[in-house]
Amino acid sequence: MVCTQCQELLSEYIDGALELGEQVNIERHLADCESCRALRDDFLQIVHFSHQLPLQSPSPALWSRIRSDVDSLHSGVWSRPRRWLARIKTLRTLNFNLSIPQLAAGAAALVVVVSIGAILSQRDGRSLQPAAPSVASAEITPLSNADLQQLEKQISSLSETVEQKKTSWDPELRTEFERNLYYIDQSLVECRHQLKNNPVDDVSQELMLNAYREKVRLLEGFDKF
Amino acid sequence: MAYITNTLTMTVTGERIQPASDVELARAAAAGDSSAFEKLYEQHHRRVYSLCLRMLGNGTHAEDLTQEVFLQVYKKIGSFRGDSAFTTWLHRLTVNQVLMHFRRRGVKLEHTSEEGDFTNVVETPLQSTRRISMIDKLALEKAISELPNGYRTVFVLHDVEGYEHEEISNRLDISIGTSKSQLHKARMRLRQLLNKT
Repeated sequence: MVCTQCQELLSEYIDGALELGEQVNIERHLADCESCRALRDDFLQIVHFSHQLPLQSPSPALWSRIRSDVDSLHSGVWSRPRRWLARIKTLRTLNFNLSIPQLAAGAAALVVVVSIGAILSQRDGRSLQPAAPSVASAEITPLSNADLQQLEKQISSLSETVEQKKTSWDPELRTEFERNLYYIDQSLVECRHQLKNNPVDDVSQELMLNAYREKVRLLEGFDKF
Repeated sequence: MAYITNTLTMTVTGERIQPASDVELARAAAAGDSSAFEKLYEQHHRRVYSLCLRMLGNGTHAEDLTQEVFLQVYKKIGSFRGDSAFTTWLHRLTVNQVLMHFRRRGVKLEHTSEEGDFTNVVETPLQSTRRISMIDKLALEKAISELPNGYRTVFVLHDVEGYEHEEISNRLDISIGTSKSQLHKARMRLRQLLNKT
């Protein structure tokens, strides 16, 4: 065995992942080669101390930020407009040349979202609250086919209208929309992949549902332009 | 018989007062007890932040993502069933958030570069006999933060967090061989970086 062969296998050697034959060959080589022994020792140190790295602390202000986010969730009616306000702020920082009708449509969309949020919050005050620790809520809530079909149908319908409107958009607005859509679609691909490997992965189910909902919100938002 | 106090930060069992368990705190937080949620934050925020920091290599981004993670915890706490440890659930949630952050930013997790091809190592070895102090751990932290994203992600998941290659390959959607190769190259690069300090 030469040094390059030994060094290529050293990581697996120190992780104990090699077949017995390869392991013996490496040990024979290490017995005669100082350079490879030094590499092995360095790897061992890196691995050893990586397991023992101390925990780091964020700034004390982080809790205030989280607390503030949680408080805004509690006043559910404000959460959706806040998200869209943030997006509009982003659009502003990107210097989009939005026409008055486009801005008016955006403002109208905001009003619609506020109204819908208010209606929903009155109808179901728990919608944006954490679930109560009932037996039912403690159980995993899998994505039902009906839920998915409903969301996919909604997305399909919105996509059709947005596609038609896209042709009249400012190129930067179109780029922004497509970039956001791409990120959400990537997230969906990731979630589907996770669920394919582990269909009962509750975190991926949640993330997938969130991604679907985010896609609906994105399409609804841009449908107004 | 154990019972839970109003604030759910302590439980009383017989004569001994014990801190409330994560499961009890999670249930209380799900019911809207903000002090229980704060307690969960106090107990776990350093671990979440450290994981984000090591995977992202940037303190500001790590704080932003820690914020996102705890917001997700708040929203999803009702779905925590308690049949796995809260720390495991939180860890998976954190890793998922970091990976989604990478995807949103279009970060490639499979690093390929000529620099990654390390052959014929003849550099001075680290001084194996020297006593590793806190300074060395800081140097290691710094070196990890300087790794390319793909190397760093695999290295942190495997060598810091203890994941197996199979799980890494599933999480990152790469082959097991690629995961092993990225890890090897990450260790080689770390060695180079540490030898410079």
